[in-house]
Amino acid sequence: MDFLAPILSDIQTLAVPSLFNIYFAFASIPVGFLFAIGMALGKNSKNPVIAHLSAGYIYAFRGSPLFIQLFMFYSIMLALNLPLWKPLGWSWLVLHPLFLGPLILTLNTTAYSAEIFYGALQAIPRGEVEAARAFGMTRYQQFRTVVWPNMIRLAWPAYTNEVVFLFHATALIYFTLPVIDEQKDLMNKAGELFERDYNVFLHFSVAALYYLTISLVIFFVFGQIYKYLMRHMDSGQPRRLRFKPNYLR
Amino acid sequence: MLEWLTAALGDDVGFWVEYLTNGKHLAFYASFRFTILAGILGAAFGLVFGLGGATLRRSGFAPLRWLGMGYINVVRGVPDVLFFLFFPLAFEQAVEWIIALNACSAEVREAATRWPPCAEANWFLGTTEYLLLASVSLGLVYGAFAANVINGAMNAVPRGQLEAARAYGMSRFQVLWGIQIRQMWVYALPGLSNVWMLLFKATSLLSLLQIADIVLWADRLGAPNFIARVGLVHGDWRWRYYLVLFIFYILVTWLSEKFFKMLMRRAGRGILAEAG
Amino acid sequence: MKTLILAALAATTLGGAAIAQEVRLGTEGAYAPWNFMGDDGEVDGFEIELGNELCERAGLSCTWVVNEWDTIIPNLVAGNYDAIIAGMSITDERMQTIDFSDNYYPPDPSKFAQAAGADINYDDLSGIRIGVQGATIQAAYAEQNFGENNTILSYETADQSVADLSAGNVDVVLADGGYLAPIVDGSGGALEFAGPDVMIGGGVGIGLRKDDDEIEAKFNEAIASMKADGSLNELITEWFDPPNTFPEE
Repeated sequence: MDFLAPILSDIQTLAVPSLFNIYFAFASIPVGFLFAIGMALGKNSKNPVIAHLSAGYIYAFRGSPLFIQLFMFYSIMLALNLPLWKPLGWSWLVLHPLFLGPLILTLNTTAYSAEIFYGALQAIPRGEVEAARAFGMTRYQQFRTVVWPNMIRLAWPAYTNEVVFLFHATALIYFTLPVIDEQKDLMNKAGELFERDYNVFLHFSVAALYYLTISLVIFFVFGQIYKYLMRHMDSGQPRRLRFKPNYLR
Repeated sequence: MLEWLTAALGDDVGFWVEYLTNGKHLAFYASFRFTILAGILGAAFGLVFGLGGATLRRSGFAPLRWLGMGYINVVRGVPDVLFFLFFPLAFEQAVEWIIALNACSAEVREAATRWPPCAEANWFLGTTEYLLLASVSLGLVYGAFAANVINGAMNAVPRGQLEAARAYGMSRFQVLWGIQIRQMWVYALPGLSNVWMLLFKATSLLSLLQIADIVLWADRLGAPNFIARVGLVHGDWRWRYYLVLFIFYILVTWLSEKFFKMLMRRAGRGILAEAG
Repeated sequence: MKTLILAALAATTLGGAAIAQEVRLGTEGAYAPWNFMGDDGEVDGFEIELGNELCERAGLSCTWVVNEWDTIIPNLVAGNYDAIIAGMSITDERMQTIDFSDNYYPPDPSKFAQAAGADINYDDLSGIRIGVQGATIQAAYAEQNFGENNTILSYETADQSVADLSAGNVDVVLADGGYLAPIVDGSGGALEFAGPDVMIGGGVGIGLRKDDDEIEAKFNEAIASMKADGSLNELITEWFDPPNTFPEE
């Protein structure tokens, strides 16, 4: 069992760093989810100003790499430090990677998720919405009883992918933001281990194992949620839902 | 050279034009070639790996099928940046290991505490080598995504066409490459366009492989400078340069969209109406 | 200065074929005045002139490779270049992985730079945000001595730590005196030196792989000859103010 010892030791060393990746994902997914729904509704809005602004936001953030977004927002936030954050007394928070990292991730995932939700909005069966309107439902009632449940079910598989990709994207944060004390994530720590003995196969594989495992957990949890969302559907029947967007991120 | 401009627009504009065309900026502009080259080469490799992966995935021979599934799922389950860093390093070490088998004596290899075991087995990696490895790396990562898209598109090719080809006496292989892969493009294009955009965005990582790319130059140009001898004395200008890169990538996305739309119109002639 | 570069270029082009041994020199290009990207887009600085002169004296044909600081040692060991000339201090810890030539820059005190007028008690640092470049002697020193009661932010390049100091995101930066002096000078009074000088490291030398004894001997000989004829001190005086020269023998 000699060959297992270094693997186990790496698994141990990388346990705490993996928590940073999990934290980054956890801190940005719920907020990004809410923002994305708003942004999707915005892009779908009849008000041309709101629709264009939302569409522009989504386009810009989906059209550029997160790596650049991280660099850019850090340097913008830094430039605002003396005129803005310092006088407000916020700089300890705003410039902290544990805050700024999730913030930029949120901006990013908002755009990707919004595009998914927007696609789902387009795919909602017209007839159901018209029926609801004919029933005399208010706009809010239509949203609650028809639009929302349809949208979330249609979008869920693609949104699951997005969450996994977002989790992967957390790997980029410490390539771009300053490292504070011993706060290091999986990539950071694996790189550090590699620089000691140049064993690329061992350290990077164990880091990959962490990412894979956590990705699988996300797939499992979101799969369970999907089952719950689809509980009313007869599992023997072919799925009525058809929205299958091709975008992967 | 720029006197006429200075005369026409005033000293200020002339100064900026001169500043933005100094050697350091020219090197920055020139470094866009690495990004574009890695994108195009990466896409070419990605297509090859994608077709290969999809072919494996559909193989009748179970171990090959598992290999294809393993490739598609493991690579997609890991962050692109991890694989992007891992592959060139691993490839370099593997090559050096093979060289070492011949170049270093057995005793040296046994006793070696460093890598590579002897100096003769060392493989130099310069910008060209790294750029190639980075492209293969991008190809491997996004090839897994492409394989998934292509596999799905092959399933979308109408059964009847394949059965007709079989009935004509074509072999399994002939059906796959002659009919199915030719027909699947039209179904695969939307997905492949998406994979291309992912791949191109991932070219922003080149600086992590010691390539003096646009991100590295943006950092070097934007960093504050206090020493007149070094160049223009200025504060922290990094965000301006990153903003330029931000816009550059959005522009490429926009152009790619146009390109793929055109491609889809062409490929879809006579097919999509029927499939619709 | 011009003649030095021309001579080195001549050595590169003429000698390359048969006589001169090819040597790649790794540097960072973000550590003025040691090494930086000049306005012409090529590496420039004290160490570039020095390296070219050393190569000429040693009969080596040299080319420059720019490499990020945090992977500069691993990539030397991996053989992507043959020597590091990047303001790297000679330390026991680094000597475990690589060898150093004799120093070409005498031991230089590290200094604290702060925003002018900042009220910091250097006798008992606590609750302070200290910026350092990662993987430097200063980073290790700060971690060891101030890590417990202060926050240490490590950056990819030294310039980034200074940018964060100017923007008020860190309270002090700890770095080589020779690097900070022109920055404090050129900051127009915004930054100042404060606190005690810290002596760490045994001067700056060329980093080399452990088994490259031949190149090491050649560089040592060239450094000795530049020390003997005073040209090294001249070069130091040309690039540093105040100059930290070797004592006359």
